[in-house]
Amino acid sequence: MNFPILSLMTFIPLLGMVVILFTKEGQDKLVRYLAAFFTFIPLVLSFILLSRYQGSTSQIQFVEKFDWIPSLGITYFMGADGLSVPMLFLTALLGFLSVIYSFGDIKEKVKQYFAFLLLLEVGMMGVFSALDFFLFYIFWEIVLVPMYFLIGIWGHGRKEYSAIKFFLYTLFGSLFMLIGILALYFNVEPHTLNIMVLIEKTPLLTRSFQLLTFAAFFVAFAVKVPIFPFHTWLPDAHVDAPTAVSVILAGILLKMGTYGFLRISYPMFPQGAMYFAIPIAILALINIVYGALVCMAQKDLKKMIAYSSVSHMGYCMLGIAAVTVTGISGCVFQMVSHGLITGALFLLVGVLYERAHTREIGAFGGLWIKLPVYSGLMILFCLGSLGLPGMSGFISEFMVFIGSYPAFKVIVPLAVIGVVITAAYFLRMIQAMFLGTFNTKWEGLSEISAREIFTVVPLAILMIGIGVFPSPLANMIKATVENIVHLAVR
Amino acid sequence: MDWIIPAVNLKLILPEIVVCLFAILILVTDPFLSKERKIWSAHLSWIAVVIAFIANIRLWNLQEATFTNMFLVDNYATFFKFIFLAGSFLIILISMSYLKREEILHGEYFSLILFSTLGMMLLASGFDLVVIFLGLEIMSVSLYVLAGFKRSDLASNEASLKYFLMGAFATGFLLYGIVMIYGSVGSTNLGQIINHITSNDAGSNLLIWAGAGLLLVGFGFKIASVPFHMWVPDVYQGAPTPITAFISAGPKAAGFAALLRVFLFSFTTIKMDWTMIVWIMAALTMSVGNIVALAQSDIKRMLAYSSIAHAGYVLVALVAGGETGVSSALFYLLAYTFMNIGAFTVVIALGRKGQDNTKLEDYSGLGSRSPILAILMTIFLFSLAGFPPTAGFMAKFYVFGSAVKSGFTGLVIIGVLNSLISVYYYLRIVVLMFMQAPVTRTDNERIKVAFCAILVLIISTWAVLQMGIFPQSLLSLAQASVSSIF
Amino acid sequence: MIGLNHFLTLSTILFCIGIFGVLTRRNAIGILMSIELMFNAVNINFVAFSRFVTPTALVGQIFAIFIITIAAAEATVGLAIVLLIYRNFKGINVDNINIMKW
Repeated sequence: MNFPILSLMTFIPLLGMVVILFTKEGQDKLVRYLAAFFTFIPLVLSFILLSRYQGSTSQIQFVEKFDWIPSLGITYFMGADGLSVPMLFLTALLGFLSVIYSFGDIKEKVKQYFAFLLLLEVGMMGVFSALDFFLFYIFWEIVLVPMYFLIGIWGHGRKEYSAIKFFLYTLFGSLFMLIGILALYFNVEPHTLNIMVLIEKTPLLTRSFQLLTFAAFFVAFAVKVPIFPFHTWLPDAHVDAPTAVSVILAGILLKMGTYGFLRISYPMFPQGAMYFAIPIAILALINIVYGALVCMAQKDLKKMIAYSSVSHMGYCMLGIAAVTVTGISGCVFQMVSHGLITGALFLLVGVLYERAHTREIGAFGGLWIKLPVYSGLMILFCLGSLGLPGMSGFISEFMVFIGSYPAFKVIVPLAVIGVVITAAYFLRMIQAMFLGTFNTKWEGLSEISAREIFTVVPLAILMIGIGVFPSPLANMIKATVENIVHLAVR
Repeated sequence: MDWIIPAVNLKLILPEIVVCLFAILILVTDPFLSKERKIWSAHLSWIAVVIAFIANIRLWNLQEATFTNMFLVDNYATFFKFIFLAGSFLIILISMSYLKREEILHGEYFSLILFSTLGMMLLASGFDLVVIFLGLEIMSVSLYVLAGFKRSDLASNEASLKYFLMGAFATGFLLYGIVMIYGSVGSTNLGQIINHITSNDAGSNLLIWAGAGLLLVGFGFKIASVPFHMWVPDVYQGAPTPITAFISAGPKAAGFAALLRVFLFSFTTIKMDWTMIVWIMAALTMSVGNIVALAQSDIKRMLAYSSIAHAGYVLVALVAGGETGVSSALFYLLAYTFMNIGAFTVVIALGRKGQDNTKLEDYSGLGSRSPILAILMTIFLFSLAGFPPTAGFMAKFYVFGSAVKSGFTGLVIIGVLNSLISVYYYLRIVVLMFMQAPVTRTDNERIKVAFCAILVLIISTWAVLQMGIFPQSLLSLAQASVSSIF
Repeated sequence: MIGLNHFLTLSTILFCIGIFGVLTRRNAIGILMSIELMFNAVNINFVAFSRFVTPTALVGQIFAIFIITIAAAEATVGLAIVLLIYRNFKGINVDNINIMKW
């Protein structure tokens, strides 16, 4: 029996949640430190995970497998490969940072807030490490509950509407996944819910069955990514969620969708992958260009960044649709890079909102003079997001385009337009907010605090680190991505 | 004509005897108890249920018929009796404080609960349409009285009358169905009905067809399936809340016990012929229940419609049929009993004397007034909505799984969309509890929950989570209950 | 010669009158009586089937006795409920007994 590192990463936050629920009312400080402690342990464990992971093979590592509900063939099966390890690390990192950020942000019902935040981390960790469909589905659904409460209780604006919209949209998708899972279960002999076993057996199923099941899973994952036209929950949820929750929503929840495609849809249904390649690429194109165009029109900074996520996730889908090693590697890079950059952007927006109580781009001007550190960081991440060479965003977008061009010779050049528009709206925003004459109305704004700097600096380091030295990450995912491509073109 | 004295094995009906004797005992001793001691009747009744439960455990894995094949003890019946007894036990516990609060603590209440439980147990064990009919009536007649137990309350009176008229009307159909089957088979024994249907070409026998249809109508009333559901909302809303919980748990399960027994075991060979009708009934029941529940402003009424919808999910299992179908129905009914009684217990806990507080807005701000109750209510509602990791999810997973297995994917899609709709109205209460401030009201005092109600809450929460996270033991029980039949 | 079909026809007519009564009567007692009519239609059927289909076994006749007993019990409970309604609502017209509506 190995050291159950994945289970520990998943369930230590749960333990933390229970501990926090048992603290006395009003001990906010203790609760904060407890939350930080119980998210710091998974972070440490994730470093161990990174160092112990063997990138040379596509084998599932850190396996834990027990019978759970034997009469239905359900096992408790956890494991990680080159796809899940970066995601687990990202989850642990953003989970910890968002707890740290929430120290100053959340002042009401602190105990419940951190309890939900920890529960959220349980669900996300579980999704990225579960390899049994039943387990995967449970974690997938568990994520919804704390998210729903976090948006609905601690959000701003039309928070209840946004919370329930998010919940119903995602549930709509995942119920189709449930049907897909049931259909798979009963059509494979012997009945099993083990994802790895199913991947081996499903290509033997009929083509029409593969297409239908692919479509069912597509709805579930497309809502999460989100792919146009399932994206309308995203701006509402992002804008109304509290800062730390937006970070997690953009940084990790969206990746659950692309992760699902790479872990389940593509390896399991090669026929579906082939059949739907063009439609998915077109949807990805719509995501990229439409998302970017909508960003141009935004006056609210947070909403702009929310829509930029729609656009950026489009690159991921484009890379996936091509089913080439470079394309999918680009997608994984984009998943990590978008998590880092957009996470940081949401944090920085939160910093400003806390001080100025407005997020309107036009209300600011010349902030560079008053807040040099803040402006520097913000501009750095904006440049990263628009894909400046030397940062992670550039690498990932470049790889996506290189990887998918051979497959989609018309769509890819069109998608490059998205990059131009992205540059345009970010530069417009930078110019409007940080350059130009200083609006004296903001004389009283204070500079970003040390704690807030602490939350974004690790993200900046990683963003530049991956941009300059992409090879460690590339080596980690290489074997796994090759295996996915190998499975998906069967 | 010779009379054969039938061989009677009393050991097999020991649980029923216990329940019946205690019911009579309570009826006899209650007049002699002073007003302060009336609670002894309640204690006697739960003791009876516990003894019957233990006696029932001893019947597990037994497969024997007695009373000339009219009364059958098999794991299927025994499993159902566990559900009924557990449900009755919880209801008796929550009734005590409720009856005290409403000042209607009379012994006959508990006696009637026991009689009703007796009826359900006969329904589950009945292997002859006579016994099924008797069980159904013993159960129902007691319930008619219980629904009107708040004698001075107009809504309770109305519930009682409506329940009675509708129930008796449905019994008429049921009887007409039984007589049709008797006319064509020449016997009311299920064993002989099975033989008759398998040996003859029963699919073309009009009498059997009419009989099966009328039986479906009769049982449809009891399990509250669309289009025989119109009594449900009024009865659920008007009846005293513990009785509402009781009606939605035990009698519904009992109706299903008989329905599954008759249709899946006796009419198996003509299954393809009636499946289509039940398919439509299941789809309608789920959809109507969930959609109308959206529009409700009273929580008891909302749970009434949700209960209709849940009957629809169990009908999906009936459509699926086979070993998996039946065992999934059993598991679903078990899970439903606990989560529903749990939710109703919270509803009762919020009430005051003469003021039930069942409007939805009475729930706003409950999260800050009484966090524990609100959290428990959330767990029960999530379970009712079929959300992991709760019993409701596991049960739905199993039911839908069995339907997919039998090839009814279309029905499963309808069911899944219905669970989506249901999430909306269950979540609305959660939103009220946690995301809205309490409406200005006079009683902002702490909500006091009686010890017995706390016990019920603990038991049902435990069961809901146990069946959601570690369902293996109960799943294999449910599977073992049907394996002896197929 | 009166055969099985005569009995069945009679009972069907009775049953339909019963259903019709339940659906159209507005007086609770009237509905109760109509339900009794339905039960009695079933009784006729049972006895007729017993006589013509299984002349040696008495299942049908015994079933009829059970139904009569149960019907008596139901009538008792039903009348008690109606009495209660009469006291509280000052009438037994079922159209007036609907304080709950959605």
